[in-house]
Amino acid sequence: MAVTGALVTGGILLVLVGANPVDAYVEMVKGTFGSWFDVSLVLTEMVPLVIIGLGLVIAFKARIWNIGAEGQFMFGALVGGAFALRVPLQNQFLAIPAVLLVGALAGALWGLLVAAARVRWRVNEVISSLLLNYVALFVFAYAVRKPLRDPGGFKPTSERVPDQFVLGDVPVDEIRVHVGIVVALLLVPLVGFLVNRSPFGMRATMFGMNPEAAQAAGVNASKMTLRIMMLSGALAGLAGIIQVLGSELRLSNNMSTGYGFTAIVVALIARLRPFGVLLAAAFLGALTLGGDVIQRTQQVPRVLTMVIQAIFVLFLLLADRRRSN
Amino acid sequence: MDWSDVFGGAALIPLLNAAIRLAIPTGLAAVGESFCQKSGVLNLSVEGMMLTGALTAYLGAYYSGSLWVGVPAGIGGGLLVGVLMALFTLKFKTEQVINGIALVLLAQAATSFTFEELFGDLTLTGRFEPMKNWEIPGLSSIPGVGTVLFNQSPLVYLSVVLIFAIWYLLNRTMFGLAVKAVGDRPAAADAAGISVTRTRWVAILVSGAMSGLGGVVLVVGQLGMFMQNVTAGRGWVAIALVIFGRWKPLRVMAGALLFGLTDAIQLRIQAASGGIESNVPFELFQAMPYLVTIAVVVFASARARRSGEPEALGRPFFKGAQIEA
Repeated sequence: MAVTGALVTGGILLVLVGANPVDAYVEMVKGTFGSWFDVSLVLTEMVPLVIIGLGLVIAFKARIWNIGAEGQFMFGALVGGAFALRVPLQNQFLAIPAVLLVGALAGALWGLLVAAARVRWRVNEVISSLLLNYVALFVFAYAVRKPLRDPGGFKPTSERVPDQFVLGDVPVDEIRVHVGIVVALLLVPLVGFLVNRSPFGMRATMFGMNPEAAQAAGVNASKMTLRIMMLSGALAGLAGIIQVLGSELRLSNNMSTGYGFTAIVVALIARLRPFGVLLAAAFLGALTLGGDVIQRTQQVPRVLTMVIQAIFVLFLLLADRRRSN
Repeated sequence: MDWSDVFGGAALIPLLNAAIRLAIPTGLAAVGESFCQKSGVLNLSVEGMMLTGALTAYLGAYYSGSLWVGVPAGIGGGLLVGVLMALFTLKFKTEQVINGIALVLLAQAATSFTFEELFGDLTLTGRFEPMKNWEIPGLSSIPGVGTVLFNQSPLVYLSVVLIFAIWYLLNRTMFGLAVKAVGDRPAAADAAGISVTRTRWVAILVSGAMSGLGGVVLVVGQLGMFMQNVTAGRGWVAIALVIFGRWKPLRVMAGALLFGLTDAIQLRIQAASGGIESNVPFELFQAMPYLVTIAVVVFASARARRSGEPEALGRPFFKGAQIEA
């Protein structure tokens, strides 16, 4: 119902701007699943959405509203990227795990700030995490303008990361996707286990449903908040550094097209189920690329797809309400 | 760079004048939000209300050729998001944190979409001269204070009147009493014959109108143009200021002035620092308004007793379904 509702609304908007909605949707499907090349693009787009989305599922399950994934993503990319550019590790098998760890830790640190403020001073995490996004963006902008700037470059970006840090493509003939997709696919069952099967996940869910009851049952609220925000931030940071090493190959201000926010939609559409994240990310990844296609072929602004995403979430809220009544 | 351009004697009066000007859009939204939260609704859609108001104000002024048409147009834009917020929160009773965030995402996408559709990909088309300042005769010639306070856009005077009106409405009228009762003890208020739903509807719409007017002041009173995400997180800052001001409209406005001063200082530092090759880390100053906001929220939240916070904040009310302690 929510899918239909969002697509119909999108269709009405298409008519309003003078495009043929049927043509537009057909073009979108053809442009995203029509060839192996297009499928590769969708898969590449999915990588950051899946990884960040999983982190948000962990947080949202505990009803900790982390909307700072964008900042955690950028900070992970920045610190991980700086590590790759400045630390001369030659051995690939050492370099890549090390840099991924650094990126994840940076994201965790950015998430920890939010959790610490909530635990220590009861600062609402929605506001602190959102405001920290701006801080991360400005720190990033300074870093690529000055200390990490490629002196030969015209725009403020860093130099290309050294070869031994670059994530190669998966060894499948038709598909050109960097191995970040493997990390994303492995994380799905891992987070699934953590959330649904582990004692930690049970406590987190209980904490989300009723914090007082959970505390009465022995859940330490502070420890829980800190762990969850660090985990959520670590996954966003990991997504950031993977995006640098697999797709961008250098640090640039516009390396994120708002993945941290799209991932919120991913987590909500997935109804906070880790395996659902995979489907939701595929849907939104295809929708984003479909937006590029209709911008080219139908002269419709690509941001239409983001309108559809937001409407989708609202319809989903309505559908869930019907179900619970 | 020359620091006397920022803090020097000759720069001081224009600086304070700018501080007031920059404080008003955020201040309006924050005061409206404090009123809304007093009724127990945690409205997180403020950024979306401001942004929609900014766009509709721009369109109204641009197409009519009269700046004053922008004022009702912008308020209408804010109210539109307010109606959606109220429908979801009060009628459909969905999770208000999520529908608030979803409405921000929707407003960001929908305003960008509309703007691109009408004006193409360019970001700087259709500038117009923002509203001229009104020098209040007599008062504006008082040295120092006169220039700071009485040489402002007419929208600034209107805003100040409205901010005091909100204070009056909340603290000196029966309706204000009803709002506070509904925010603290909805069941008791209901038993006393106050309609919880209707009161909260009005409170959300007040927030929508005030935030929409914030968008008007930004676009019609200051910039004379619109661009994507022109509000740049001011709506989130506004929510933070509500906590800082402990839900008291005038204290909230004082917080907005602090934010405006920080913003005025950082704009000057940016202007004085001399562009992209500058060694001054002006990005860190750009981050300053957000950092100061985070700091004041931490400071306000850290005080042991959160006096002023409505007790039923964020909780939906089901008539006859709950007995409160």
